[in-house]
Amino acid sequence: MANKLSGVLICRACQGIALSALTLLLTTGVAQAQSLEVTNARLSLLPGNTPGAGYFDLQNSGDETVTLVGAESPAFEHVEMHVSSEHNGMAHMHAIESIEIGPGERIEFAPKGHHLMFLRRAAPLSEGDKADVELKFSDEQRLPVTFDVVSPASL
Amino acid sequence: MYKLLLAGLTTFLLAGCSDQSWRTTDIGDIMPALDFSLTDEEGERVQGEDYRGKATLVYFGYTFCPDVCPITLARLGDTIRNLDDETRDNIQVLFISVDPSRDTPEVLKRYTDAFGPEFVGLTGEQAEIDAVTNRYRIAYDYGEENENGDYLVSHSSAVFAFDREGQAQFLVRDSHPVSDAEADIKRLASQDG
Ligand SMILES: [Cu+2]
Repeated sequence: MANKLSGVLICRACQGIALSALTLLLTTGVAQAQSLEVTNARLSLLPGNTPGAGYFDLQNSGDETVTLVGAESPAFEHVEMHVSSEHNGMAHMHAIESIEIGPGERIEFAPKGHHLMFLRRAAPLSEGDKADVELKFSDEQRLPVTFDVVSPASL
Repeated sequence: MYKLLLAGLTTFLLAGCSDQSWRTTDIGDIMPALDFSLTDEEGERVQGEDYRGKATLVYFGYTFCPDVCPITLARLGDTIRNLDDETRDNIQVLFISVDPSRDTPEVLKRYTDAFGPEFVGLTGEQAEIDAVTNRYRIAYDYGEENENGDYLVSHSSAVFAFDREGQAQFLVRDSHPVSDAEADIKRLASQDG
């Protein structure tokens, strides 16, 4: 605990140095982060404590395939990756472990398709708020993304 | 005045072609009238006939569903908000839960309030819910619980529409163009009672 705290303090005091150190340590990771871009990140949420859905576009401009393996957010207890589908008049939803994004490829997490499922709010959240989320990739790389909390009526 | 004239004209036109078919799937001859015995979001016991007098849209889902259910209800809400005031007063949406153990009246009330005053949540005993889903020949299915005790539910994706007398009229499927669904809902809500 003490270690973690001092770590945070040092980072805040000398962010520049910390960043260059990170660059040295995670050269490949940083190169990848620069080639990944998330846009249109929205977290569809209703009042109460029912789960929310995360939607976004993810562009891989790099020349290597990346694999998205999940997400985490301090605002929720759990975040899962899901796909909704429809067969013979039935709406289904199931969890997925990973999704690959090839070089130059763009994937869309959108209503009635792929989505992040956000479970159990750590603190009250409502329309107009922001939620910090980290997308996790198979090579341990994490991409921080700020989601706008919206009503499903806006989608 | 113009609005009144237009409303009158619409009524006249509708009366003139009452056998005009719906753009979405017509279920007038194959589905039974609106009937059920459930508990509403205030915790009151209710029957299908309590909802006669207004055009009624019925959707079967569950509040733990973060994607398909809220999106479907929000789109119905959009369609309803685009109606003129008078027509909007003639329509209601019943959200029948297929997950009664999580969907208590309190949970449902908070959920449906987010979509508009026309939305009412209904729940009940499993046997009561089965009676309704069997009546409209739809299924639902519980997935396995994960390590957090959460489970997903597969459910019908269609919206059932009934007229003011509770007679089945049409069914909106995912594959129907939004414009067709909107046109049918508008026409149903504009019908004379
Ligand atoms: Cu989901």
